[in-house]
Amino acid sequence: MKKIIFALLGGITLTVFLVGTIHAKGLKMTGWPYQPDTVTENLGVFTAQSGIGAEFLPIPSDSYHDKMVSDFATGTGFDLVYVRDNFLAEWASAGWLHPIQDMPGFDQYRKDLSQASIDQLSVDGKVYGLPYYAGMMSFAYNADHLKSAGISAPPKTWDELLAQAKKIKAAGISNKPIALQLKKGNYIVISLEVIAAGFGGTMFDSKHNPVFQKKGSAFWKALAWTRKGLKAGLIDEASLSSGDHDVVNMLSAGSHTFTIVADYNLKAMNDPEKSKNAGKFKIGLIPGDGNTRSGTTSYVRLYSITADAKDKAAAWKLLQFLGGRDANNEYFVAKKWALNFGLGFAQLPLYEDPDVRSSLGKWTNPDVMAEQSKYSVNRGYRFLPYFSDWQTETWAELQEMLMGDDDLGNDLEKLAVAWEDLKN
Amino acid sequence: MGITYQIFGMRPDKLFNRLLVYGGSVVVLFYILGPFLWLVSSSFQPEQNLLDRDGSLFPTEWDFTAYRELLTGFLYDASSGIPYQARIFLRSMLNSLIVAGGVAVLSILIGSVAAYPLARMKFKGRNFLMFFILGTRLIPAIALAVPFYLMVKAVGMNDRLETLIVINLSFILPYVIWLLQAYYRSIPMELEEAARIDGCSRLGTLFRIILPLSLPGMVSTGILAFLLSWGDFFFALILTQSQSSFTSTVVASMFATDVDVKYVSIICAGVLSVIPPVSFALIFQRYIMSGLLSGAAKG
Amino acid sequence: MKNNFWPALGFLSPALLVILVTIVFPFGYAFFLSFHKWNLKYRDTPFVGFKNYSRILGSETFWEIVGTTAVFCVLSVFLIMTIGYLIALLLNEEFWGRGMLRALLLVPWAIPEVVNGILWKWLLDPSFGILNRILMKIGLIEEYHSWLNSMPSAMFSVIVAYVWTHVPLAALIILAGLQSISKEVKEAALVDGAGIFDRLILITTPLLRPVLVVVLMFETIFALKVFDIIYVLTGGGPGRATTVLGWQIYSRTFTNLAFGRGSALAMLLGLLTLIVAVLYFKYLNKEED
Repeated sequence: MKKIIFALLGGITLTVFLVGTIHAKGLKMTGWPYQPDTVTENLGVFTAQSGIGAEFLPIPSDSYHDKMVSDFATGTGFDLVYVRDNFLAEWASAGWLHPIQDMPGFDQYRKDLSQASIDQLSVDGKVYGLPYYAGMMSFAYNADHLKSAGISAPPKTWDELLAQAKKIKAAGISNKPIALQLKKGNYIVISLEVIAAGFGGTMFDSKHNPVFQKKGSAFWKALAWTRKGLKAGLIDEASLSSGDHDVVNMLSAGSHTFTIVADYNLKAMNDPEKSKNAGKFKIGLIPGDGNTRSGTTSYVRLYSITADAKDKAAAWKLLQFLGGRDANNEYFVAKKWALNFGLGFAQLPLYEDPDVRSSLGKWTNPDVMAEQSKYSVNRGYRFLPYFSDWQTETWAELQEMLMGDDDLGNDLEKLAVAWEDLKN
Repeated sequence: MGITYQIFGMRPDKLFNRLLVYGGSVVVLFYILGPFLWLVSSSFQPEQNLLDRDGSLFPTEWDFTAYRELLTGFLYDASSGIPYQARIFLRSMLNSLIVAGGVAVLSILIGSVAAYPLARMKFKGRNFLMFFILGTRLIPAIALAVPFYLMVKAVGMNDRLETLIVINLSFILPYVIWLLQAYYRSIPMELEEAARIDGCSRLGTLFRIILPLSLPGMVSTGILAFLLSWGDFFFALILTQSQSSFTSTVVASMFATDVDVKYVSIICAGVLSVIPPVSFALIFQRYIMSGLLSGAAKG
Repeated sequence: MKNNFWPALGFLSPALLVILVTIVFPFGYAFFLSFHKWNLKYRDTPFVGFKNYSRILGSETFWEIVGTTAVFCVLSVFLIMTIGYLIALLLNEEFWGRGMLRALLLVPWAIPEVVNGILWKWLLDPSFGILNRILMKIGLIEEYHSWLNSMPSAMFSVIVAYVWTHVPLAALIILAGLQSISKEVKEAALVDGAGIFDRLILITTPLLRPVLVVVLMFETIFALKVFDIIYVLTGGGPGRATTVLGWQIYSRTFTNLAFGRGSALAMLLGLLTLIVAVLYFKYLNKEED
């Protein structure tokens, strides 16, 4: 026994010494671990072009926000970080990110990005980063299911969606054809925002005053529609515990027909290595309500420079290389993500690129995507720092509204009051 | 003992006992391993079969790619096409082993001495001290993450295995101490008193009487400490940032990204993570079994 | 009595050193924050005295969450203790293959968190999960059930998953306790010729009490702080049905970045746990001294 313990102890001390940490000099970047080898390869190109070393140290996706919050709060050692648009307001107002609109050469990106994209990268008029990938929520469906149920085209309105779902259910093709992301968390709010956009409205007006609680508002209609679908067994109640990866699995398994997901998710569904039903999934316009043809919300993932970065000039160079133009004045990195990995982009010049267009055609329909992007609604209220405080309080309430029978008015009014309280 | 007849060469009550034991073992085996078997079975399947509604519970097509990548990935570089997460997985298992092994050994060394006065000596403030030790563990780790991180960065110990050992140790020690003092209490006082009369010091009685007698308790406590730190995700997440200190729980969770999830790789990582603790238990369990009888004979 | 204090402290000093060095600052920091309005998003961090505490204690939601936590804790600790004790008793018997079974017992605990989440989420999945398929085949249910989205099955599913991971710990500790008292139990049984169940209730359980109390205490502490399994399976839903204190602390601190409120909640949970632990100790650990 003693011998074993001593051997263990010795082994541990020795290994701890051997494993002693060696860190490369230069810039440090972190993000979620999507294709870390490609990122490192890109950073190698950057080093070759600029002579500045750079290293990518990924953090698990699910815990990315929590780890970064702890890291920022204690003084981060990272120079560049990935940011999801839903944390941007939070991180910017906490003073963790460095604004870039006054960096030399920034103005060319005002040309290369639409004003809507610039708005999505900004908080309080300051720009905080350049896009990594971008896109919008889109409507995905199993074309085979529609065909077997004798449906010729995807639904144009929300009512038609329920009618088609009913038909598919009756034909025994899918027991509960619609899968939505209604899990507590960002999911439920984003899904309802998209449906509300299809009903022709947003939760707040352009001055950030709540309108969702007004009778007949788009958000009210979205809630009522979702509740109706759940009650009728056309929207699967499993939606209440489903996030993005869950609905992708539900469709890939062939058990569900319709969903609303980020555009890149369609690629996983149509990947034969991941799904036996690959190839059956198509993208369609998000339904409308007859007056409004469609509606959606867009998202962006961006690279930002941290406020703690020591060499801001070097970090700006790397930021431009990744989210903007490289030393050869090309969108090298964004194009690579689009071509090889099917990630969406916000850089306008890439839309003209023939390689990018033909590559997108393999797993989605670029024309539908282009049309869908016209219906994207503006959600400036998401960039208020107290939005996240407010939305955490809404998750449980929204789920209870969806599962209950109460009049929606009272509950929505309470949420509006909570918003006004936070505002003051 | 008036019963003389036998069934299968056993007395009826003995037979009943055997049936109960083997029946129970089957139930326990099924309960413990049932969900795990799903994991094992899934780990050998190509990913598209996992989502098959009518698919078989057992693999029909065998696919070892994920295992091969996880186990041999460390031999290759990025050009091999093996994902980064798979290439660093084995290294992260080693890190986990170092941390969990370190915590287990240190917590037993420190804890077995600390538990003695709490179990055997009467002094003022004993209960207070016991609850003070436990009290440090009652606040959820989530609420302490930021101050921990701040402290670790201030002393320049971020991203190091030693830090993980110390932090896990401090969180696991209270449990170890409480457990060991409970095991010590179940040792008859007379043995110790006899030794004291023979002129043994307190430290001497601890090492000669108490420790050998509570070996099963110590080994199980060591396994417990190993398991608690083996399973730690939260501290490993907060306090590591490179492959030199990532533990296997962190690397396993890296197969899920914002864009896609490699389910089979995660599942294989899970199955592999089970091997070290279970083999440790196999190696050390003869000490759990040795029990009081053999200990007392030697003592 | 008093003269024992310093020698005792001598034995305890290495442990206390480790604990104090690592815990005093973080704990003090969290305690300090709990008296401030401290949200990382805002620069202004005023001292607010007991306002965080009074707001929490005055809110209905908090008491609802305490109730949910209590339900979760009582049910899961009861199940863990019962199943753990039974498994330990079984593994204390001598039979072929028990060494292997003892080692395999650790499997549920050794599976990493993220894998455990996937495991249970997929087992319970309403459309392709195996649980529905098996239950349907043996005729227990007539249609696929969506376990995580209605009550009480959501709470029950979370408890089942949680108990499964925690049983090994309880069984392991109790088993070691059984090993050290096995001689006394055998002797006592020989003397009065008691049956299996009498032996369990009259001899084994009382002898094992110190260990059982400790396991009970640990499992209660763990269950009161539960967070992981809720995070992966239900996110505290449906509605607020599985929202427990651990989840609420997480969502305050990391989703809202309200570290002041979150720390105050954590302090309250710590206090609650301490009270429960002291009560256990006082009433269950009756002792000669």
